[in-house]
Amino acid sequence: MTAAISLEAVVKRYGGAAAVNEVTLSIGEGEFFSLLGPSGCGKTTTLRMIAGFVAPDAGRVLLQGTDVTNTPPNRRNVNMVFQQYALFPHMSVYDNIAFGLSVKRVPRDERDPRILEMLKVVSLEGMEKRRPGQLSGGQQQRVALARALVNRPAALLLDEPLGALDVKLRKQMQLELKRIQHELGTTFVYVTHDQEEALAMSDRIAVMNGGLVEHVGSPREVYERPSTAFVADFIGSLNAFDVIAAELVGGYAVAQLDRGGRVVVRIADGVAKGAQLRVAVRPERVHVVEPGSEEHGSVVSGTVVDTVYLGMYTQVHADTQLGRIVCHAENPPRPNSSVTLAWDADDAYVVG
Amino acid sequence: MDAALSRNGRLLLRALFVLVVVFLYAPIVILLIFSFNNSQIPSFPLSGFTLHWYHEFLRNTDLRAAIQTSAIVAALSSIGAVALGVVASIALARRRFRGQAVVSALLLAPLVVPFVVFGISLLLLFHTIGIPRSILTVVIGHIVISLPYTILVLVPRLAQLDASLEEAAYDLGAGRLRTFRSVTFPLIFPAIVSAFLIAFTTSFDEYAVASFVVGTRETFPIYLYSALRFPSQLPQVIAVAVVVLMISLLVVVGAELGRRAAERRLGEIEPT
Repeated sequence: MTAAISLEAVVKRYGGAAAVNEVTLSIGEGEFFSLLGPSGCGKTTTLRMIAGFVAPDAGRVLLQGTDVTNTPPNRRNVNMVFQQYALFPHMSVYDNIAFGLSVKRVPRDERDPRILEMLKVVSLEGMEKRRPGQLSGGQQQRVALARALVNRPAALLLDEPLGALDVKLRKQMQLELKRIQHELGTTFVYVTHDQEEALAMSDRIAVMNGGLVEHVGSPREVYERPSTAFVADFIGSLNAFDVIAAELVGGYAVAQLDRGGRVVVRIADGVAKGAQLRVAVRPERVHVVEPGSEEHGSVVSGTVVDTVYLGMYTQVHADTQLGRIVCHAENPPRPNSSVTLAWDADDAYVVG
Repeated sequence: MDAALSRNGRLLLRALFVLVVVFLYAPIVILLIFSFNNSQIPSFPLSGFTLHWYHEFLRNTDLRAAIQTSAIVAALSSIGAVALGVVASIALARRRFRGQAVVSALLLAPLVVPFVVFGISLLLLFHTIGIPRSILTVVIGHIVISLPYTILVLVPRLAQLDASLEEAAYDLGAGRLRTFRSVTFPLIFPAIVSAFLIAFTTSFDEYAVASFVVGTRETFPIYLYSALRFPSQLPQVIAVAVVVLMISLLVVVGAELGRRAAERRLGEIEPT
C-alpha cells in the first residue's frame, strides 16, 4: 500500500540555518498523524512543504505515490486548515465552503449536496447564510474544516487549529475532530505544540526538535519509551538522573546507591559493567512507600521539599541522592519529612 | 492633557485654531458670496443677487470643454495610477525581493520632486523621443505623480490583510488571478476607492505639470489660470469654482460613506 504522504529527506534552510533538516516521514492512508514540537522546531515548515507553500531545498514530497515536489498548492490534492482559520470575511459560510468546488468547476447540482452534507458533518446546518464575522470561534473552526474537507482531499493539513480556542472548547473540538476524521476516513496531518492534544488525538506522533524528527511512534510508544531525552522531557514531565551500572543481572543494570537504595533499569545489549547510564522515570510511576516494604525495583530515600495539590493527586517534590525527584501521591507526606520512593524496574528506562 | 496647559496656553491654542479655520474656510465663503454678486468687480459692498455668472459659464463652450478635458484626463490617469498602484503595492506588501527598498523609494520619489521640475523634464523627454503634446502626455504625467498616493493608500491596507486568506484561496485550488479577483480585490476594494479618489482629485486640479506637457486641448486649471487675465471672465470663473467645489464635496462625502459601509461589512471579521 502506498503511503498517503511521503517526505524523503526534505530540507529547508532560511538564511544558513536549516529549519527542516533531512526529514523523512511516511504517513499512512487514513492516519491521524501529529507533528509535535516546541515553536521553531520545523513542524509548521514541514506542513507547509506538504501543502506546497514552502519549496524544499532538497528532498522529495510524494502524495499517494506521486512526486509533487514542484507542484504548486492549487494543484495539490491536499487542503489546509489555517491557524486563524483564514475564512473569507466577505463571503457567506456557504460561499466559503463552495469556494474550492467552484474554482474546480464542479457542476452546481453536484456542489449543493456535497456542501449540505459537509455542513451536517461539522454540525453547522442552517448556518450557511451567515458571515464568518457572525460566528463564534468554534463555529469558524468548523467552517474552516468544512471548506477544506468538501474538496475530498487526499489529506487534510491542520496548523495548530485549536490554538485560538479556550481550554474547554478546545477539548470539545479535539473529540469533534477525531469523530470527523473517523467518519470520513481522511488522512489528517496535525501540527501542534500541545503534547496532551497530540497524545489524545493521534494514531502516530512525530516529535520534532531543531528541524529533526526525534521520534515517530504511537502516543503510547512516544510517552512510555521515548527514544531521546528531548522527547521524554517534551512529552510530559520527567525525572532524569545518572547512575553507574555496577552489576548486570539478566538484561537489567543495578546501581547500588551510597546511602542505601538502588536503581534497577532495563538495558540494551552491549552495555558494559561500570558504564554511566542516564535513567528516566515518569513522576506518576514513582510511589511513596513504607520504608522496607519495597521488594523489587528501584528505591531511594529523601526529604520532602514541597507538595503541590493538583486536585486528582498531589505532586511531591523530594530531594534524594539522585537529585530532585518528583512523584505523585494520594496521601502526601508533610514537607521536611523523610520519604522512601520506589518504582518498578520496567517503569524506568535509559535515555540517549 | 488639559491640565498640562496653562490658561494662557489654552487661549493661544484656541486662537490658533480659530485662525486656521478662518484661513481655510473664509476664502470658500467669500467665493460663494461673490459667485452670486451682481457686479464684475468682486468687492464689498455687494451690489445685488444674480445667477448670471452661472448662466454665463454654462454657455461658455471653451470652459465646458476644459472641464471635460480635465475629467477625461483625471479619469484615465486615476484608472492608470490605481491599476499600477495595485500591482506595485502587492509586490511591495506581499513579496520579498532583492532591491525592494530601492523600488519602493523610486515609486514614491514623485512625492518629493517639485512638480515644476518634473514638468520640465517630462516635456524634454517627450520632445526627445518625439511624442507630441496631447491629452495623452498629460495623462502620463498625472499617472506618475498620483501613483505614490495610490501606493501609500493601498500598501497599509494590504499589510493589514491576513496573507493566509490569499494562501487559503491558493490552497483551495485558485490560481493567482482567481485569488486576486475573488479574495484580494473585494477585501481591498475600499482602499481602491480611496486611492482612485485621491488620484482623480490630484489630476483634476493639477496645474504645474500639465502646463508643460499640455497640447491644444487645455485642462481646467490651465483654462482658469489663463482666464484670470481677463477681468470680465473673473465672475464666471468664481461660479465655476463653486460648482467644482460642490461636486467634489459630494463625491468625496459619497465615496467616504460608501467606503465606511464596505468597511463595516468586512470589518466584523478582520483579525486585528
